[in-house]
Amino acid sequence: MTAHNPLLTVRGLGRRFGGLHAVTDLDLDVHAGEILGVIGPNGAGKSTTFSMIAGALAPTSGEIVFDGQPMAGVPSHGFAPRGIVRTFQHNKPFESMSVRENVMVGMHSRMPSSLWQILAGTGSSARAEREAAAKADSLVDFVGLSEFRDADVATLSFGQGRLLEIARALAAEPRLMLFDEPAAGLTASECHRLEQIVLSIAKRGIAVLLIEHDMRFLMSLADRVAVLNFGRKIADDTAAKVQQHPEVVEAYLGNLKDLQNA
Amino acid sequence: MKSLVRYIVAALVLSGVAFVLGSYQTDVYRKLLLWITLALSYNFLFGICGQVAFSHFAFYGIGAYSVVIFITQLALPLPLAVLATVALCVALALVVAIPATRLAGFYLALATLAFAQLFIVVLNEGGTVTGGTGGLTNYRLPDIFGVAVTGPWYTVAIVLLLLGTFAMLWRLERSWFGRACRAVRDNPDAAVAMGVDARLTKVLAYTITSALAGLAGMVYAFVDNTVNPAIFSQESVFQLLFMVIVGGAGRPAGAIIGATVLYLLPLVLSPIIGHHHALVFGLFMVLVVIFQPRGLIGLWDRFISGRQHRQAQVQLRKAHP
Repeated sequence: MTAHNPLLTVRGLGRRFGGLHAVTDLDLDVHAGEILGVIGPNGAGKSTTFSMIAGALAPTSGEIVFDGQPMAGVPSHGFAPRGIVRTFQHNKPFESMSVRENVMVGMHSRMPSSLWQILAGTGSSARAEREAAAKADSLVDFVGLSEFRDADVATLSFGQGRLLEIARALAAEPRLMLFDEPAAGLTASECHRLEQIVLSIAKRGIAVLLIEHDMRFLMSLADRVAVLNFGRKIADDTAAKVQQHPEVVEAYLGNLKDLQNA
Repeated sequence: MKSLVRYIVAALVLSGVAFVLGSYQTDVYRKLLLWITLALSYNFLFGICGQVAFSHFAFYGIGAYSVVIFITQLALPLPLAVLATVALCVALALVVAIPATRLAGFYLALATLAFAQLFIVVLNEGGTVTGGTGGLTNYRLPDIFGVAVTGPWYTVAIVLLLLGTFAMLWRLERSWFGRACRAVRDNPDAAVAMGVDARLTKVLAYTITSALAGLAGMVYAFVDNTVNPAIFSQESVFQLLFMVIVGGAGRPAGAIIGATVLYLLPLVLSPIIGHHHALVFGLFMVLVVIFQPRGLIGLWDRFISGRQHRQAQVQLRKAHP
């Protein structure tokens, strides 16, 4: 896996908010098909890191290189077309749409028809719509929401909403998928289902970057775990080795039991 | 194919009506069709994209004035005048949209309201070009291929305008563009994360709907063969907003119902209660907003879902007596 060049390379990444250094000199690599977990205590800079890689926040130093292309200067909406797609920790569905339509928004940058073709009502634009709907249905099936295809998103439970987030992100055909605390707020059985989904996403060759609070969830799932503390990376290794790392143990002193249980 | 048949049937029925109406009824019918056309495009901008813009009626006026000015003062042939008017509407829409779509909600409303006011000022102060407060009169539609399109045949042209506008907006709404418009309204962050360029989407939606309003204005110009500032006053701006809200914002069927009810209401009421019809109108508005925020189309939805519910219950009772 590591024999190839990493899909995502982060070098010297930093973000300052006024005098506060939220993230400092961060290096990360993620390979295709790999699951990288990022953990850290509150205020470690996880969310800031996530936002920068997702394109929602511009770094103040360092660079993000995706598939050999530097992402500096790429607008926020340019990340999904290039293959970096995220889910939200607090589900952000499009409330006025059905489950299927929500997923179809994910295909936004993959739709082949132009505005002119749509206005003229050409056969090819109608066909593209039908294909998009069929593809959305198969993604809805994949995450296990088949019976809700035509449902209003308001009728979904929190856990189902999380699954919708994933289906919508997959619709954008990502090569790197970013999960922002995906297990937060899920029941044990929903967590298990989520684990299966993340594993099968990675098996498709999609790189996965997970930011998590739930140690147990991350430890069993991630190929590699990077630990942040006070905006710096203090460890980056397999889950088992990270747990033995003295600095990590110290940083997590309060949560030591969590780590051991993992 | 099926939808094409539906459009043809609708065109035949709506056009057929034009041939049996008297002259007063024809006038009412034509203006009703134009109001519906305008409400449809405004529904897309306000109801679907969530842009609280008050410039829609101004673009209707810009379309009407421009086509007349291009034909009578610049002596352009009709097809060129139409193209030039559309181009002008698109250009002006971009000039308004590019700065205005940076604003949201209240501020967008203010900026577009200012634009609409400015348009009225320009009409009043435009000298011989706009004809000042008296507007422009004494012109007529140039012959098309040597044929004077008048009477019911001009009503047919309005029907085609309505159906063309409806078809375009219907397709837009059911495309990636329509989904992007709603996504930007529902949750801009999530829309951007899915690759939607939020600003471009807003600018395009504003420009397309404003151009459609301009197109309707062009057709309006030859209904009365007179255009003046009073026609495009603020009253009509809000009338349009109320039509979409009363019908049910975001729903084309709502726009059609809203435009029909609010346009015909004063015509029906004023012979009975005179100017008090404005009072009824105000009361009606308040009642709808308080008790039926989804508009009249929401009542219909409730009726349908209620019936489905009852049918399901009847079947359940049959299955388990």
